[in-house]
Amino acid sequence: MKKLFAFVLTIGLGVLMIFSLRANTLFPEFGDVSIADRISALFLDKSVNGDNGDVVFGQTTDAEDGAANLVTSIVVDYRSFDTLGEVTVLFISSLGVALLLGVAGKQKRLALNFKPNFMLRVGSRALFGIILMTGVYVILHGHLTPGGGFPGGAMIASSILLLYLADDEFRTKVKGFKVLESVAGSLYVIVGLLGLVLATYFLQNFLPTGTVGDLFSAGVLPIVYVLIGLKVGSEISGIIDHFLTEGDLA
Amino acid sequence: MSAVLLIAIPLLVAFVSILSKKLAPWLLLATPIANLVLLFLVPTGIVVIGGFQPPFGISLLLDTYSFIALFAVNALVFVIGLLNVKEYHQFSSILLVALAGLNGLILTNDLFNLFVFLEIAGIAAYLIAASNKKPASVFHYLVLGAVGSSFYLFGLIILYAMFGTLNMVDMIEKINAATVSASALILPFFLMFVGLGVEAKLLPFNSWVKGVLGSSNTMSGPMFASVYAVTVSFVFGRLLNNLFAFQGNLLVVVVAILLLGIALGEAMAFSSKKAREILLYSSIAQASVVILLFVNGLVLWGALLAVANAVSKFVLFYVVTKAQKEVGCDDLDSLQGMFQGNYVVGVAFSVAALSVIGIPLFAGFVLKLGYLTELAANANWLAIAVILVASLVEGIYYVRMLVKLWYPGEKEVKVSFGNVATVVIALAAALLLVFGVYRGPIDNLDNTIDSVSEVIDLG
Repeated sequence: MKKLFAFVLTIGLGVLMIFSLRANTLFPEFGDVSIADRISALFLDKSVNGDNGDVVFGQTTDAEDGAANLVTSIVVDYRSFDTLGEVTVLFISSLGVALLLGVAGKQKRLALNFKPNFMLRVGSRALFGIILMTGVYVILHGHLTPGGGFPGGAMIASSILLLYLADDEFRTKVKGFKVLESVAGSLYVIVGLLGLVLATYFLQNFLPTGTVGDLFSAGVLPIVYVLIGLKVGSEISGIIDHFLTEGDLA
Repeated sequence: MSAVLLIAIPLLVAFVSILSKKLAPWLLLATPIANLVLLFLVPTGIVVIGGFQPPFGISLLLDTYSFIALFAVNALVFVIGLLNVKEYHQFSSILLVALAGLNGLILTNDLFNLFVFLEIAGIAAYLIAASNKKPASVFHYLVLGAVGSSFYLFGLIILYAMFGTLNMVDMIEKINAATVSASALILPFFLMFVGLGVEAKLLPFNSWVKGVLGSSNTMSGPMFASVYAVTVSFVFGRLLNNLFAFQGNLLVVVVAILLLGIALGEAMAFSSKKAREILLYSSIAQASVVILLFVNGLVLWGALLAVANAVSKFVLFYVVTKAQKEVGCDDLDSLQGMFQGNYVVGVAFSVAALSVIGIPLFAGFVLKLGYLTELAANANWLAIAVILVASLVEGIYYVRMLVKLWYPGEKEVKVSFGNVATVVIALAAALLLVFGVYRGPIDNLDNTIDSVSEVIDLG
């Protein structure tokens, strides 16, 4: 009965959606939106604070936002406050994992149901470095190419996960991750506060934005992305460690 | 000085606080105090973030409306932290993040940013609920909360597809400018209403409340019943008053949901024998009353009622959860006569309960008289009838509860509250008494405490 009710409710909601959006003059067909009369048009042109003309890769200098990657310019510059919020979402999730799964006292690894051999251990160490460096590359080039702090941080964490899976003795220093997580998060807020002090507004860019497309460009964006990468990497690694360890009763 | 510090400081402190378990509880106590001081120093108005003027980028809005909510939330978090700092010290960082999230929810002037803070406050809430040690009910809450915030997000996406903006003021302007029938906007508004309704404990979406508040402790009970309740009410009120244009059928559905919520909430409270359940059903009914006032455009009364409820519910929930912890059970029968020897706490509890009912001399009466007069002026007789009958039922079960808790039964029940808790509870009850007699501040305020429409007029 309960399942039938849920089914009817779901169908009802679907029908409501179709009927209220179909032939709704306000709701545009897919692909019909004219970007010119949306506020996002000015994000694309980097012209929120006055018209800056065409943005040319490798030539435009000192634009209001120096990121060549449009997604980054929105995520870490125009809507950086939301990103600070998302970082906090991950932070509190990892706090929650630590609260629920963390054990005081001695801890040991959960046993794997196979014995990792020598080749697996050595091979994964070699891969670890490559994945880690790819993660660092993705983070550092977040303002130029697709990627950035979140995927890069996840890559770093995946390299740690590889070590955990390939070696049943392996443990990282969780305390170190905690310090890194705390410092990176605090520095993000402090970058924001520096914007308030050195410029006028919270999270405002207070460094020169350089030439669009250069590695050293876009002001505080790469710095923020490095902090996000470190924070995401250390948080997810910490979560992995909590999931793969248990209290040692012996 | 900028109002963004009210969010940034708790966040920064939360990030730092995970480094030292010893320092974290102290940081938890210092931060709301710092915020309360800051609140009186920062200028009101639109706060730009990142240097991009609205509607671009993200902005906050500090006006009298958000000021009242911020004051209540920060003060209550400080008090709840103070009373629980010893027992729940491992929750310090989580409460700090929750504080940042709640302050953000109240301040934000951006509808997507509101969703982000809803997530932060929501996840913090699941963790706070986890302190009840009832994993199944927390999981139930987690699923409902996640579905609820997805509904909000889905509604917002539709609005964004229609108007191409996320800034609340800009969105309202664009909706006003678009000359279309209200029916075109039913879906997004309804989805957002449902999404927020989960957190606001409105009737069909509130099945998590019983599991979470019914087994709450001295931290989670007051946090949910007062801090979270007051925040969500204010956020809901802001959107109801400015953004959601409920008309026609949608208005009928919404009002029906709310009236049903009041009636059923009070009925369930009436039939319950457990102290925490009585209080939680009573909060469900009260939440519906607050939202009903907002739907009717009585912003001032809705806001003040939300704050008064937060103060009363803090006292009621703290006393009941503390007693439950010491006695091990929250049946009214097993708590019989617990105020013998705890006269101060007993009087404070009675004041809070009588204020919720709306007995003269207590803050609840001033408010009830105020909003019933306004509803009568609008000739909203159905709402008045439901609220009056609900008050009567409320009066019966609260008085029954008070009689039970005051008169000693066969067994002697000993509950010790400690000096700090006694003083705090007495002060909170004193507030309810003071504002039951002295109504100066209320007379100076009116519906313009919510300045969104002024901001729109100014352009």
